Amino acid sequence: MLRYTLRRLILLIPVLVGLSVLVFAVARLLPGDPVRLAAGPNASEAEIRNLATEFGLDRPLPVQYWSYATGLLRGDWGVSIYTRRPVAEDLRIYLPATLELVVAAMLLAVMIGIPAGLFAAAHRDRWPDYASRVFSLGAISMPRFFLGLLLQLAFAMWLGWLPLGGRFPLTEDAPATITGFLTIDSLAAGDLHAFGLALRYLALPAFAMCLSPLATITRMMRASTLEVLQQDYVLTARALGLSHRLILFKYVARNALSATLTIIGLYFGFLLGGTVLVETVFDWPGIGLYATKAIVTQDFMPVIGVTLSIGVLFVTVNLIVDLLYGVINPKVRYE
Amino acid sequence: MTRLTRRSVVAGAGVAASLAALGSGRPASAQGSKKILIIASNQDIPNFDPHVASGYSAAMLLRNTYDSLVRAEGNPPNPVPHLASSWTISPDGTEYAFKLDPAARFHDGSPVSGEAVRYSFNRALRLGKGNSWMIAGIVDQNSVSAPDAGTVKIKLLKPFTAFLQVLPWIWVVNPALVEANLGSDDGQNYLRTNFAASGAFRVRRAEAGNLYEFERMPNAWKSGGGNLTGAIWKIVRETSSQRLMLQRGEAHIAVDLTAEDMDALNDKPGVVEIVEPEYRTFSIKMNTRHGPFTDLNLRKAVSYAVNYQALLEADGGYADLMKGPLPPGILGFDPDIEVYRTDMAKAKEFLGKSSSAAGGVKLSYDYVSGLDQERRFGLVLLDAVKQLGLDLEIKAKIWPDLVAQCSKPETTPDFFPVYQTANYGDPDNIANAAYGSSRNGSWQNPVYSSPAVDKLIEQGRSEMDEMKRKAIYAEFQKAVVADAPDIFGVLEKRKLAMRSEVKNFTFTPVASNAIELFPLSLA
Repeated sequence: MLRYTLRRLILLIPVLVGLSVLVFAVARLLPGDPVRLAAGPNASEAEIRNLATEFGLDRPLPVQYWSYATGLLRGDWGVSIYTRRPVAEDLRIYLPATLELVVAAMLLAVMIGIPAGLFAAAHRDRWPDYASRVFSLGAISMPRFFLGLLLQLAFAMWLGWLPLGGRFPLTEDAPATITGFLTIDSLAAGDLHAFGLALRYLALPAFAMCLSPLATITRMMRASTLEVLQQDYVLTARALGLSHRLILFKYVARNALSATLTIIGLYFGFLLGGTVLVETVFDWPGIGLYATKAIVTQDFMPVIGVTLSIGVLFVTVNLIVDLLYGVINPKVRYE
Repeated sequence: MTRLTRRSVVAGAGVAASLAALGSGRPASAQGSKKILIIASNQDIPNFDPHVASGYSAAMLLRNTYDSLVRAEGNPPNPVPHLASSWTISPDGTEYAFKLDPAARFHDGSPVSGEAVRYSFNRALRLGKGNSWMIAGIVDQNSVSAPDAGTVKIKLLKPFTAFLQVLPWIWVVNPALVEANLGSDDGQNYLRTNFAASGAFRVRRAEAGNLYEFERMPNAWKSGGGNLTGAIWKIVRETSSQRLMLQRGEAHIAVDLTAEDMDALNDKPGVVEIVEPEYRTFSIKMNTRHGPFTDLNLRKAVSYAVNYQALLEADGGYADLMKGPLPPGILGFDPDIEVYRTDMAKAKEFLGKSSSAAGGVKLSYDYVSGLDQERRFGLVLLDAVKQLGLDLEIKAKIWPDLVAQCSKPETTPDFFPVYQTANYGDPDNIANAAYGSSRNGSWQNPVYSSPAVDKLIEQGRSEMDEMKRKAIYAEFQKAVVADAPDIFGVLEKRKLAMRSEVKNFTFTPVASNAIELFPLSLA
């Protein structure tokens, strides 16, 4: 497994190089003039030229890319032409916010979806199965941003149980940053009050994000479970008089999990890149909004930085998923 | 029967702890003894440099953390003392002498001296960014002098009647701090995220793209004002979210509401709506230097063909029709000026005289993606040009692309919708920015150029006699209307909403969404 892991990590390098070349080329070749925009409406032509020189935008494209790539190796992800802030610094702030949201959404989706899929399979063609099918169809069809708005209306406006948006109350100081995850940082600080606040603010956006993967995980788990339930060893276990619950949770669930794991890994990537609508509705200061602002202002360094970050995370998560196959099923061998 | 296992007990305890933690949150608006005003806006503040930053969000930050010689107050706005407690103006309008308030102090305790004012003006001119365009050509590096610590003298290069009106936007920095952090860029890197200020508030917390928290300076030099201990400028991108925050009391003021939001807020308890005319025009510029609209007759034909009532209705009832290039209420506005209104007979008459009489012309209308108002106006325009046998291609583009297109006549679209908001309460602002040829190549006035209009703008800038200024601007308006460089659209009213507990808010038709914190209180 170690050799397999190392090989996968090494393969990550050409993937990221290819991704960076592609994104860099697309971002730089787009029409428009980000320098003029960053210089402001009253800037003279000389100022615009100076700004272009300051950011190296007057050099040939391959030279610009080489400068960027070598900077990456030193931890320099470039500077935003619009805000003049280092992209690495911005990613340190925005990426954990999105990760916290995505992790929370996936945790909800997994914790509810896997048992729901098992339950639906165990009660095939009875009302729990039908209910899960209807629920899954509705959840996959519902646009996330619309669901977010409905959740805001119901839980924030009508019931008043949860806040409208944001990550933390505006007039209170958040716990000191360690990981950037407010929930973890507040626990690390021993501040249960802050932890509770962080959870309250996380609840609605995480639920809006989790519904689509939850539905898919439920359906996938149901299908895999039904397939495993037909296996000979399950029939043998039943014949030996083992209880239905023991067979389901001890023997069937682990074997049915493999296909669902793949979906979990893929959805993690999809969610990372698809948070912008939920972040907009809930004013969640994550990379979705950060990247959107950068795209609109043609601020290509943040765009490249966000794309590379998501690429690294996506590949890493899927590597972890691949390794988990071996944990779940010891018969899996890595070559 | 359900067995009580160790696992189920631990799981249950975890759930109970989480629920307890969830329920322990305080109400969103509870502040205890603090009086923190929360303003919801969708505009970020990427730069704190008072001589570089622009935009209403930056204006909000700067007017609350920095000071200027005078402030603009009232409706119509008039200059009132601020750093300067009094001033004199020479009869020819070229020499100003300001007496500084001896109490004025920077945040580090050092006095705000005449030298600081001189330094600040010169830095603004050197950088040539931000609001420096307001004084460019009016003063230079030798214009400002400080004969003593408490006096500032400014000798203008030429008379500029609106000089006092622009001074509220020229901020005074602490020279010692800037010089200590000069770097190679005149302190721009330092002041982008730091302050060298004297204002009543300072920035306690800045989270780019999320929020900016202000706190009142404990020993601010200026006494009085409201009871705010602080304020938060919260970035809320969706206007519907701003509206909901206002209704719930999670925000006290929302500054970007649409007509639909305002309608939804009608009669909501605890919400006060402010709908006031502002010096803010919305017109559709025509490319007078390239393409079919170099023909004055075609411009007039389209101007008569537009359904102005539809333009008004497209704005949801929160606007009035423009009557020429200047907004009502501003000095020199002529309420009797004859402007274009829907008249298909005249439209066809002018079309017949134009070079596009045979039809078959395709015009372009490029608007800012995401601004639904501009899209609706495009549809009204489509209807108008179709009746003239012309065609219109409507395209949504992002702002940077449109700004780049406006740099040359060849790439400027045939129609280009533009909001013009006055930065200061003088007709010179809109006349110069929107119709002066010195602004050609910029989005405010990409192409229109008329030597006669330029001459009137210069005359209006330098004439001291108010009656003569009114006559000059009356002529200016007639000249611009005769040239028909724009379809004069609507005057959008400023739409703000605030909680009823916000006290002492006074509307000023200039930068009203750049909320000034000092006089405000929370009940």
